[in-house]
Amino acid sequence: MTCAELQKALPYIIDGGGSPEEEEHLRTCPVCSDLVADLRYIADVAKLLVPMEDPHPRVWQGIEKSLDREKLAKPARRNM
Amino acid sequence: MNTAKKILANGISEHEAIERAQRGDAECFEALYGLHKRRVYSLCLRMTGNTAEAEDLTQEAFLQLYRKIATFRGESAFSTWLHRLAVNVVLMHLRKKGLPEVSLEESMEPQQEDGPKKDVGTRDNVLAGSIDRVNLERAVESLPPGYRIIFVLHDVEGYEHNEIAEMMGCSIGNSKSQLHKARMKLRDLLKQSKAEKAANRR
Repeated sequence: MTCAELQKALPYIIDGGGSPEEEEHLRTCPVCSDLVADLRYIADVAKLLVPMEDPHPRVWQGIEKSLDREKLAKPARRNM
Repeated sequence: MNTAKKILANGISEHEAIERAQRGDAECFEALYGLHKRRVYSLCLRMTGNTAEAEDLTQEAFLQLYRKIATFRGESAFSTWLHRLAVNVVLMHLRKKGLPEVSLEESMEPQQEDGPKKDVGTRDNVLAGSIDRVNLERAVESLPPGYRIIFVLHDVEGYEHNEIAEMMGCSIGNSKSQLHKARMKLRDLLKQSKAEKAANRR
């Protein structure tokens, strides 16, 4: 298996594993295994990006105004 | 979100809240917002890098949700349905801004000229340990939106390819291929900035 062949299959095997032939190539080829290491590292570091946060309360206020204007919601019942 | 907690604490499931929202129950609209606002907003924020835009897009996504909620039949998970809405709202917005990109449909096609041809046989310095958050954020922001959204959905937000395929209306193979291209492009950008930094030190 050539590097070109392995790299063509890479999108489909990088996260789930490939055929024995493909895995063997990755085990023994420093070029392709370096590439895979880079791509996996990028995927891992991605989790550090902007943490999850809640929107400002004004976002809901804006939605509420539009719901009123468009008459999408019936007034809330009191006996929940 | 007090209303959301109250409603769910009363033993009302999300499923029930959706049904009541479909009949126009205002408290259930708010409950659904409370349950899903963080993920929708975070997605918008990661895609735009801008609080004001992210807030506008979040509002728009939820409004569209409420306008269409009567058509939700439960064929997919509600959150998937909602995120698909949000993804489309974000993409439309980015296209309106006129960012240079191929259309989503085109970017789904495999492209022959793309790809690491020069890398195939040569060993390159590995990136591991050299990426900081700022550089990565900058690199993600300069990805074409079609690549950016798949990268954000999969690697940042943790969606699976089958979920992404459903949200984006593409095949699982396309999702994998686009993700790969996004990561390859990021790798190029990050290597470039690493090289520039090294050159500036000389």
